[in-house]
Amino acid sequence: MQNLAALQRSFSEQGILMCFNGSFTHGIIEEIGTAIRRYLEGEKLTSGSITDVFAVYIEQTQNVKNYLERRRFAPEARNAAVIVIGNAGGMYQVCSGNTIAHSDIEELTSRLETVNSLDKTGLRKFYKERIREPHDPASPSAGLGLIDIARRASTKLEYSFQTIDEEYSFFSLSVSVAGEQR
Amino acid sequence: MMDIPATSSTPRVRFIEEKSVLEFVGESYPENSFAFFAPVFEWLNVELPHKEGLRVEVNIAYMNSSSTKCMLDILDALTESAEEGRKISVTWFYEAGNDRALDLAEEFKEDISLPFEIVPRETGKR
Repeated sequence: MQNLAALQRSFSEQGILMCFNGSFTHGIIEEIGTAIRRYLEGEKLTSGSITDVFAVYIEQTQNVKNYLERRRFAPEARNAAVIVIGNAGGMYQVCSGNTIAHSDIEELTSRLETVNSLDKTGLRKFYKERIREPHDPASPSAGLGLIDIARRASTKLEYSFQTIDEEYSFFSLSVSVAGEQR
Repeated sequence: MMDIPATSSTPRVRFIEEKSVLEFVGESYPENSFAFFAPVFEWLNVELPHKEGLRVEVNIAYMNSSSTKCMLDILDALTESAEEGRKISVTWFYEAGNDRALDLAEEFKEDISLPFEIVPRETGKR
């Protein structure tokens, strides 16, 4: 870590408050989540806004963790995950990144495009339909995370895929949540 | 007898025999919500048939999406049990002033046909 000053400057310029780079365990998700909540309470946000930022963080990190555990990639690919929380002009950004198999990109893109095509009323309806669907007992996921994230976001979900090699890409998801002041 | 202690990401879940209250208190974003709530479904299958009725008290500060699914499934199971003649009601506490928590309570109330009371609680008190 030779150039901590440059890293710090870069974080400041980008409004980055917190970053975790590495494999997400449930314990790490809890600890960082608790720290974020405390920080936001200190920033005098409304309790509704704190819930939104926290919820988006939880759904994103649990999605990443569940996906990487389900796919059982080789260690290097499995451990490539990052979560960044930033603030730009009162708008909180929760960004996650993880390795994804090329073969999963199409389905994920279609789910992202579906939530992005809906307005808040449409998302509410979609969520209510989805929550009544039977749960696959083999999965820890209810398939609601992206819909919940989209319901709390202030803008459409921004995402990208960058090719790493012939097998993997890197998936980035950036979600903006308005931080309303108390 | 059911009393599951709370952790930082899971609620305390217990049945209070003398009051006939099934209580959920704390946070709910478990590593695996379906595994976490499995003992509650077990309790509903085994113990509920011996009860005349109960009140459900939900006092959860934040619930992730898979916990929300589990809670809806629990309340659906209780609705079926109420249709068999048991007296079942829900009291849902939310943090006063938290619009998001109130929205969640109201969405549950819309989707559940049990008597359903929404009660604000002061911040920090539970």
